[in-house]
Amino acid sequence: MQEEKHPLRILVVEDETKVACALCEGLEREKYDVVAAATGEEGFFLVNAEEFDLVILDLMLPGRSGLQILSTLRKRGLQTPVLILTARDAVEDRVRGLDSGADDYLVKPFAFPELLARVRARLRRGRTEQTHQLKYIDLEMDAMSRKVRRSGRLLDLTAREFELLEYLLRHKEQIVSREMLARDVWKETARATPLDNVMDVHINRLRRKVDEPFDRKLIHTVRGVGFVLREE
Amino acid sequence: MHLYPSNVRSRLTAWYVGALAALLVAYGAASLFFLFLSMREQMDHNLLEDVETVEGQVAAQPDGSVTLRLHHGDEGDTGFHRFVEIWTPEGTLLYRTPQLRGQALDASPIPGEGLGEREPVSKHLPNGLRVRLVRSLHHFEGRTLILRIAHNEAAMWQELSEFATVLLIGLPIGVLLAGFGGYALARKALAPIDAMTRETQKISADDLGARLSVKNQEDELGRLAAVLNAMLGRLQGAFEQLRRFTADASHELRTPLTAIRSVGEVSLQTQRSPSEYRDVIGSMLEEVDRLTKLVGSLLTLSRADAGSVQLQRAELLLLTVANEAAGLVEVLAEEKRQRIAIDGDRELRVSGDRLILRQAVVNLLDNAIKYSPANSQITVHVGRTADNRAALDITDSGPGIPKEHQQYVFDRFYRVDKARTREWGGAGLGLSIARWAVEAHQGELILKSEEGQGATFSISLALHDNSSPSQKKGGLR
Repeated sequence: MQEEKHPLRILVVEDETKVACALCEGLEREKYDVVAAATGEEGFFLVNAEEFDLVILDLMLPGRSGLQILSTLRKRGLQTPVLILTARDAVEDRVRGLDSGADDYLVKPFAFPELLARVRARLRRGRTEQTHQLKYIDLEMDAMSRKVRRSGRLLDLTAREFELLEYLLRHKEQIVSREMLARDVWKETARATPLDNVMDVHINRLRRKVDEPFDRKLIHTVRGVGFVLREE
Repeated sequence: MHLYPSNVRSRLTAWYVGALAALLVAYGAASLFFLFLSMREQMDHNLLEDVETVEGQVAAQPDGSVTLRLHHGDEGDTGFHRFVEIWTPEGTLLYRTPQLRGQALDASPIPGEGLGEREPVSKHLPNGLRVRLVRSLHHFEGRTLILRIAHNEAAMWQELSEFATVLLIGLPIGVLLAGFGGYALARKALAPIDAMTRETQKISADDLGARLSVKNQEDELGRLAAVLNAMLGRLQGAFEQLRRFTADASHELRTPLTAIRSVGEVSLQTQRSPSEYRDVIGSMLEEVDRLTKLVGSLLTLSRADAGSVQLQRAELLLLTVANEAAGLVEVLAEEKRQRIAIDGDRELRVSGDRLILRQAVVNLLDNAIKYSPANSQITVHVGRTADNRAALDITDSGPGIPKEHQQYVFDRFYRVDKARTREWGGAGLGLSIARWAVEAHQGELILKSEEGQGATFSISLALHDNSSPSQKKGGLR
């Protein structure tokens, strides 16, 4: 995954120690170089003094609010992408955040796979190649002709199952959360109970077609987190 | 003494007494005045008649002076009733009633006195007498005489003052009596309000089941009591709902927390293998996920309560909304080998927020799938109601909902089957959210169900008005 020579640097500005530690550890495991700041002042100083590829910014900070930091940074012309974390999810809060120059917005409590996906998307920005040929081990997909083969055998998938598998393939070896599936595959804004059940049914059906006839299982449920396409 | 009495009863009485006193004073004064006018008119009449009498009584004395001849029985000017002066125009006094004791009725005659109309005037003499005076010219045996005739007003004033005394004594007594009467009446009229106040005071938040007694439903107080009772009913309902909601919410929030805690604590009691820890953490994360969703739903509902959800309204085909919703949950029905049959008017349009309306239909369909047995059919029908609204009916073939539960099914966290597991049952917010979604569109979501015969949830919405395009703009936001 990490083809770059030097690791990408991420600044995490978060005052809640537990959350900050979890973020640092999780991001470091993904081979990012992480620097943590516990207050607004510290974050403000660091972002001015050093170079970062991405800033993850909590909005509710002691001392200086995240929004203030953000707008000051943007006024000084710093173009570092900023991902905001907040517990406030009202529409006007989102709008305010994006207006102050944030690039993305994540509501607490967020799923970590979701955060990872957003971080990747931010850092990849500008050089995304939407390839139509997706491949993982012996699973091959042509997103144009909408054909899926496993070990050369053509699989018969419904439209929804195809989209689901395509999403898993594009995020291969990464855990995808239910929120991500709800938003990106089902295009639903709210994750309601019926949708969770619907997801379970589709994942089960997909498993039956993709995994059951073969020895190597590729679709896995990560309990309490989401789903992942990988070999175990 | 308070200038402004604090209770209605005293205030009513004060107003009443004040008004009555003012009325009586005005009436008394008017009576006195009219009595005075009529007495003086009578007096003037007598005075003018008396002029003729006096003229007939004028007699010349041998020495050239003039006197009055009295008839027998005529009191004439011997009493204190009538006074006469006779003057020559030159200013010589010829005669003056002896009882005047030299007191002049007026100054010496002025030229022209007694000419013209006889106009009685009131005079207040220096000796204290109040008289009514008339002047007249009299031609007597070739001479011109000025007659001044005055009547004493004392009797009239006496009579008037007696009348005024009667009024002054009677008026306060009357007012006082009326005040007592008025106070008693007001007290009697307001007694039911006092009783109602006492009854209402006894009703506290813990005892909202109590109601005010209604004696007569038709009168004003009866209506007031009925209105208060209806309000108490609503208040009681709201309190009960709140109590139930609080209890249910704490249950729903505590259950996952308890699970997280006990799973974590128990797993730390002994050393375990990594895969076992993985399992434990996964199980805890599942509960976290449940809590997250629950908090999200509660937030949605509380925003809805606060009215801060903005609908993105657009023109929608109701049948399309139904099809989209069914497409989403279809797999759930397939798993139970159920069939979702959708039919109806494909042209029926409503104005609404596509996602929010679809959520309502999804929740209702999910509910129908959950409660219908395997191999059964769920029917979705889209049509017009009798009162020309758009309707979407979802009928399941489940066990139906017993009457006693029907009014609660839309309440938050309410579950008809208390024992239902959380695995499939969700948090019991689906129907509340559906109802909110429909009501946010000024629609209605109602339940029709007979126990044992399935249930029908009916959404009714205003039709999108595409017959008159001018109204269409106004209708949309």
